[in-house]
Amino acid sequence: MLLCQISDTHIKAGRKKAYGIVDTATMLERCVRQILALPQRPDAVIATGDLVDFGRPDEYGLLRELLSPLTMPLYLMMGNHDARDGLRESFPDHPYLRQWAPFVQYVIDEHPLRIVALDTVIPMQGGGELCAERLGWLDRTLSARADAPTVVALHHPPFVTGIGHMDRIGLKGADALAQVIARHPQVERVIAGHLHRPITQRFAGTVASTCPSPAHQVALDIARDAADNYVLEPPGFQLHWWNGRALVSHTAYVGEFAGPYPFRVDGQLID
Amino acid sequence: MSGIPIRLEACSKTFDDGTRALHPVDLSIAAGETIVLLGPSGCGKTTTLRIIAGLESPDAGGRVLFGTDDVTAVPIEKRNVGMVFQSYALFPNMTVAGNIEYGLKVRGMAAADRAARVREMLAMMRIEPLAQRRIDQLSGGQRQRVALARAIAPRPRVLLLDEPLTALDAKLREDLRGEIDRLLRSLAITSVYVTHDQAEAMALGDRIAVMSHGRIAQIGSPQDIYFAPADAFVADFIGTMNRVRGAAADGRLRFAGGWLPLPAGAVAGVAAAAATAPACLTDVMFRPEDLHLVDAAAAQFAGTVLSSFFLGDHTRLTLDAGGEAPLVARVQQRRRFDGGDTVHCAVDPQAVLALRPAAT
Repeated sequence: MLLCQISDTHIKAGRKKAYGIVDTATMLERCVRQILALPQRPDAVIATGDLVDFGRPDEYGLLRELLSPLTMPLYLMMGNHDARDGLRESFPDHPYLRQWAPFVQYVIDEHPLRIVALDTVIPMQGGGELCAERLGWLDRTLSARADAPTVVALHHPPFVTGIGHMDRIGLKGADALAQVIARHPQVERVIAGHLHRPITQRFAGTVASTCPSPAHQVALDIARDAADNYVLEPPGFQLHWWNGRALVSHTAYVGEFAGPYPFRVDGQLID
Repeated sequence: MSGIPIRLEACSKTFDDGTRALHPVDLSIAAGETIVLLGPSGCGKTTTLRIIAGLESPDAGGRVLFGTDDVTAVPIEKRNVGMVFQSYALFPNMTVAGNIEYGLKVRGMAAADRAARVREMLAMMRIEPLAQRRIDQLSGGQRQRVALARAIAPRPRVLLLDEPLTALDAKLREDLRGEIDRLLRSLAITSVYVTHDQAEAMALGDRIAVMSHGRIAQIGSPQDIYFAPADAFVADFIGTMNRVRGAAADGRLRFAGGWLPLPAGAVAGVAAAAATAPACLTDVMFRPEDLHLVDAAAAQFAGTVLSSFFLGDHTRLTLDAGGEAPLVARVQQRRRFDGGDTVHCAVDPQAVLALRPAAT
């Protein structure tokens, strides 16, 4: 089971550039092409929030078009830039978006790796939250299949990254989430977005990670007063490979790179 | 609520991997009409529905019109379509009323208007007693009634139904089919209904478009499709067809068991072909209910009973009449048939179809 994670695509209507600079539509097209050209076809794609920039229907319309070449199951999640009703109305053929209300939380049971998606959004705010209602749903959902290897996905990572301006719009309720996750050792991983960078931390007896964006990345500056900047480092996505025993995660970069080149000629390392 | 006409002009769909899901399709649907897109999986029926909904855009050059509005570039949530899918996609933790109200709230309707509209929908779908139930307390059939109410509540211009009954068991399917028929007639809303079930298509469609390999093989009333199928694919897909191959001459098709009358229209073409190739083999088809059991003197051909199933109002026989495949007959004689019995058969000339092979 190969689960592809994309995150923070920030699509704007009419292919408008994000912040006047980032051509997020074209960058997502490249990412989608690269996913489809992978030597191993992912079994599913999960998009961990900030799908569009302002939660507008015309943005979701373009997102739908840009993601349409993906023929494998696609799971969309809420981020702080998304709107619950807008997402549901624009993707009426994605029934999992209606598993719960008001929060867009859902569980997908049709793969060897169980996918549980959370909604951390507080409308009109950058930061996120997991309240008792959302965590109660999670606890019940995880209890229902204690034997199923599970990945829990949420937009806001449940840990402090050190990048001050992002931590200030971090997740409320991370400790309570840790208590729930710790009760369910079948959780192989907690995956998140929001940070536009690959970051990992030990969390509640498992690993929590974030995913790069196929568009812009948050500048790497591990400081409380780090400037609120983004950079155009190589865009990326992640592949989470469930091999039946463990979840192994690879970060892939989108772009044209030189190679591949051989290491060896006639079985000998090239000197 | 009243419908608007829909027109598809040269709508084709090619996926990024080059697969042609739909060849250019032209389709006009009248205001208030119910059209059923019928065909096997992969025939393009769902792609056509998704193009009408705005869930897929047609290839360049294709146009979708709602009345005089060109909606080709209009995203789904601005097209004002109601949709019902095979999977209910209702919020399980909300009440029935809450689910129906949800779309009205999203559209910014005032609370008092919403409450009135929800009551109206509950009455229309005959589910008032369920208003305060949670979705997970409902049966599959009840859920699909709620899904219909939810789709209709915002007064959509068009109602799109994608295999809405497929997940239900047979008895429930029949009940709900009747319910949907009553609803579509009373609303007079323009509806497009996708199914692979011919009984559903016959029961619900003002017209049926039978699709195959990304094309409309035939479009017409259920009667047109059943009695005058355009080709062998349509004939085989709708109902059961017997197929007999034989040599055509003198207005008759001769085969091992005897002969069949050739339909008047087919005789000229077949005769012309026979003139150049004396042993011209041709295929004809007829429906099981058009095979009549007659006295030996009046018989066109004889058959041996291979199996018989008594079904109350009729008996279904399979017969060996010397052809390549057994023939199926639906007979109403009040007698018992046993394997090995010889029966004498006749088919009326107007019930025999000489069809061009299915387009591929």
